[in-house]
Amino acid sequence: MSSPKKTTEPHVVKEEVLASGKWVKLEKTTYVDPSGSTRIWETAKRTTRVAGTAADGVGIIALLKRTLHKDCVVMVKQFRPPMGCYTLEFPAGLIDENESAEAAALRELKEETGYKGEVVGITPVTCLDPGLSNCTTQIVIVHINGDDIENINPTQQLGKYKFVEVILLPLDEFQQKIDELLQKEKIVVDTKVYVYAMGMSQAFFKPRELPVLKQ
Amino acid sequence: MEFEESGIGEECGVFGCVAAGEWPTQLEVAQILTLGLVALQHRGQESAGIVTSNGTNPPTYTTLKGMGLVNTAFKPDDLLKLRNGNLGIGHTRYSTTGISELQNCQPFVVDTLHGKIAVAHNGELINASALRKKVMRHGVGLSTCSDSELITQLLALTPPMEELDTPDWVARIKNLMMETPTSYSLLVMYKDVIYAVRDPYGNRPLCIGCLVPISKLHSSGAGEGDTEGWVVSSESCSFQSIGAKYYREVQPGEIVQISKHGVKSLSIVPRPEGDNPAFCIFEYVYFARPDSIFEGQMVYTVRQRCGQQLAIEAPTDADVVSTVPESATPAALGYAQVSGLPYVEVLCKNRYVGRTFIQPNTRLRQLGVAKKFGALTDNFAGKRVVLVDDSIVRGNTISPIIKLLKEAGATEVHIRVASPPIRYPCYMGINIPTKEELIANKPEFEDLAGYIGATSVCYLSVEGLVSAVRGVTESQEKDERISSKTKTSRLGHCTACLTGKYPVELEW
Repeated sequence: MSSPKKTTEPHVVKEEVLASGKWVKLEKTTYVDPSGSTRIWETAKRTTRVAGTAADGVGIIALLKRTLHKDCVVMVKQFRPPMGCYTLEFPAGLIDENESAEAAALRELKEETGYKGEVVGITPVTCLDPGLSNCTTQIVIVHINGDDIENINPTQQLGKYKFVEVILLPLDEFQQKIDELLQKEKIVVDTKVYVYAMGMSQAFFKPRELPVLKQ
Repeated sequence: MEFEESGIGEECGVFGCVAAGEWPTQLEVAQILTLGLVALQHRGQESAGIVTSNGTNPPTYTTLKGMGLVNTAFKPDDLLKLRNGNLGIGHTRYSTTGISELQNCQPFVVDTLHGKIAVAHNGELINASALRKKVMRHGVGLSTCSDSELITQLLALTPPMEELDTPDWVARIKNLMMETPTSYSLLVMYKDVIYAVRDPYGNRPLCIGCLVPISKLHSSGAGEGDTEGWVVSSESCSFQSIGAKYYREVQPGEIVQISKHGVKSLSIVPRPEGDNPAFCIFEYVYFARPDSIFEGQMVYTVRQRCGQQLAIEAPTDADVVSTVPESATPAALGYAQVSGLPYVEVLCKNRYVGRTFIQPNTRLRQLGVAKKFGALTDNFAGKRVVLVDDSIVRGNTISPIIKLLKEAGATEVHIRVASPPIRYPCYMGINIPTKEELIANKPEFEDLAGYIGATSVCYLSVEGLVSAVRGVTESQEKDERISSKTKTSRLGHCTACLTGKYPVELEW
């Protein structure tokens, strides 16, 4: 690919709202590309982004830890209208006003799964689907003390129109279990989940092998 | 003390686990088995073995065996290979004479007509040699000299009424029980169940526990829905360390099926008419861990009662009561309670000297160096000491201890033994020295005190031991107000090594 001698710093020039709904809006983004040409992009954005918050929402990688049990990742399965089918995702939710990302994570986890967790780590702000939207998220790593009496038979606290099924999968066979689930059910797995699972397989079983070198 | 020193051992401990609920389970079965065996480490230190099954049809069995203590025998990397277990059994083996080889280590896995079985055995078959010949006459070749292999082969024989494609394990196990009356506590793993079997005389212990979430272990809130799995063990002391609640004992002669659905009693094979059960009384005296429960009572309590009984039978005019650490301590405390004499510690033990660790040679011993014990002089100098020990078998161990105490200032040393003298061999799994070596059979026994250098020596009587174990004294025995049920529970104990009365006629 030829790179022109003179390069410009790409930047957004103008944003015009084309359509707006209750939760999502469509904008026409005018920008200057690296070669200096002015171009148009169609951008989807959330209407809910809170000023001052770093990201739109949080995703939660929660590990349920119980004595003498395998550590399990807490997943959620729900019907997603845009996909038209069920998906397997990490619990997630939007960050409310005056709420930190960590607080949002623990709240969403409690609501969607009933588990009470503790934050052990957080990623920087990351983009979810940058070719389509400006949506960002922070993934919060949470540990759940499964021996605590509160976490033994947890009850979800879902709102009226939320239908979420909790699925626990052992961490040391994460990718394998997901593949088994895909065989059994018509379900689409979230990208973050599958990539994380691949990373776990690599870490557990092939730490010195280069990833995916198929002939 | 002398049991520990001379290596008289209980041969082996067995432990099993089945995960409840859906399989593949999220329980770490291999870890639970390892922890269970660690709690039974006192029953065997020579080697340890685990076999896990994934419970499918046909199942995949994974075996891990190693020499030495559980910590050394199983490496964390090896345990990872057992990750897919939904059930499993384990075994710790006691040191026997001769070369210890890995292939002699249990559990044994053999292929039978209906698939693989794994067997873990605690005990010794009293008719082993006759049975070996019988089995070999059937055309079966044996590759070790162990009883446990014999048991595994007997289970592999097809019982007469069995159908071609349906194994009848109750019939097979009953077959085995008919061929040999005692002694065995067995775990047989087949596909997705574990059969727990105890010989009709109940000579070796076996009990069942229920795994519940750790936070519910001590609350009364644990209901049926909280059962995460079932465990079976030689002793109940293993249950606390893995988060299991004591459920019940396996009865003498009982065949129990333990599966993911629960515990089911399949059969109880009776003893010949009139025979009492014969639970090894030495489990109470020495071998079991003090926190284990047998016949509804804690071992520590029984040892304490032995000490109390000893104080009644053999009171002493002395100043202090003490113990030979650690196994005699409950008895010493019991003695102090009844005698009213203060309990003090007179000996300090170096646990790194002795059987399991440094073995001082005879010369060093004679020179009095590399001693196992030190004297806590200030506690007893100038006083008359009652020293309670749990056993005197050859008399070798107690003599240096008495010498040590006297040299440190004890004016009198009275030995009180919390068990009766051993005079006869055991064929049920305790490797007692030959009859000639036992001090009770030697002429020196006439003046044992002189022989060992003590001011006086008294043993607990057999009747005293039996009443301490049964928890019912002689006077209570005659008391008609006490229900016969109370009197007859805990009725049968094997005291063969003390009395020469064997529970079953020995075939020679």
